[in-house]
Amino acid sequence: MFKYQFRWDTVWGSFDFLMGGLEMTLIISAITLVLAMIGGLIIALLDMSRFRVLRWIGVSIGEIVRNTPILVQLLWVYYVLPIVFGIRIEALVALIIGLALYQAAFISEVYRSGIQGVPKGHREAAQVLGLTPIQSFRRIVLPQAIRMTLPPLASNFVQLIKFSSLGAVISVSEITRRGMELSATNFRPLETFTFIAVVYFFICWPLAMGIRFWERRLQAR
Amino acid sequence: MSGTPILLADSVTKRFGANQVLTRVSLPVTERDVVCIVGPSGSGKTTLLRCFALLEAPSEGRIVMQGVPIATANPDRQVKSAARAVRSDIGMVFQHFNLWPHMSVLENLIEAPMLVKKMPKDEAIAIAEGLLKKVDLSDKRDAYPARLSGGQQQRVAIARALAMSPKVLLFDEATSALDPELRREVLLVMRQLAQEGMTMLVVTHEMGFARHVGTRTVFMDRGEIVEEAPGASFFDAPKTERAKRFLQQFEDE
Repeated sequence: MFKYQFRWDTVWGSFDFLMGGLEMTLIISAITLVLAMIGGLIIALLDMSRFRVLRWIGVSIGEIVRNTPILVQLLWVYYVLPIVFGIRIEALVALIIGLALYQAAFISEVYRSGIQGVPKGHREAAQVLGLTPIQSFRRIVLPQAIRMTLPPLASNFVQLIKFSSLGAVISVSEITRRGMELSATNFRPLETFTFIAVVYFFICWPLAMGIRFWERRLQAR
Repeated sequence: MSGTPILLADSVTKRFGANQVLTRVSLPVTERDVVCIVGPSGSGKTTLLRCFALLEAPSEGRIVMQGVPIATANPDRQVKSAARAVRSDIGMVFQHFNLWPHMSVLENLIEAPMLVKKMPKDEAIAIAEGLLKKVDLSDKRDAYPARLSGGQQQRVAIARALAMSPKVLLFDEATSALDPELRREVLLVMRQLAQEGMTMLVVTHEMGFARHVGTRTVFMDRGEIVEEAPGASFFDAPKTERAKRFLQQFEDE
């Protein structure tokens, strides 16, 4: 270790290759977040449905997804879905589906607590003034719930940036995968993976700090 | 008391599970009445008020507005549509104000008139500005509720209720959440409303208000109306032992 000769030039030489992977990582995370937000809404609506069967479906999806490892889910989507449906799924699509489903299960909880976090009194005030339940939900509950869910949704984005590295396992060409490929040819895993870790850190850390600051400001209002 | 009461609790019983909170309570409210409901906590005052506000349905009995039932234990279609029709004629001011924090003061005031009464925006704003002047908060028109003191928030809440021009205004311990020095400004607004002839039903611990402003005082204990007397006479000559004991706590005031 002491005598280790750092060869950072092996990393700089492939800088563009790795940055292309980072671009991929961010695109995957963004697409997945949008899909997960929609999926989360569907699961939340199922959870809060008037009909027992729908509630049961919503709760089941949530519980299964939250209580199995994300990596197993990804492998399942990539290898099992094609067998079941007899179709080929691209690794990239499988990654996005798997991640979106996983995050949707958590985002549905974010929505639910956002809606339930609006004090009952706010709805009662609306009711007494004559607003219909739908008007009250749209004008009083939803705007407040959305405001409360924005910071957790941003945190989910940060989580996705990290989770998308799992795509490496099913050979999606995001930054971690490219790192693996690079270190297999330059035989410099120390420099390569250190560099990649630093890249993740300097993207995720400022985002996380920003979100914390944002949350504090929202609470102050 | 003369004529049909504007609002009437007709033998209302309310149970939450096995817990009976109100037992056959009957209370008529006539126009320009300022009925103050007093009593120890847990006596059912707030629940009675919430039944009047149609926030709780009676387990037995009915709430009647101007001769028309608007709440029963098992409301049929007729009762439900009657309730919808008079919904905004019954205003309510809450202990914890319940202003909508994501809207400015003005937006809080114009929301219901525009949505419920389909009032044009400029008309709603004109009315809201008049009401803000009345509660002496014209300068807070564009402020958000969190920027206001409790007393200011409660005055906005009163103005918000008034914006629907209700026939009856219910107050649920409107000053209980306020520091003593902020109560006065709210009580002054309430007193002014009473003097203008607003029909009011006031659940309160403010004995001074009940004595000097109220036209009738209703004393509740354990889910029943124990005693009822016009204006100050409840305070000067309580008839029941329970009322006397209750009033003793306020002797220093």
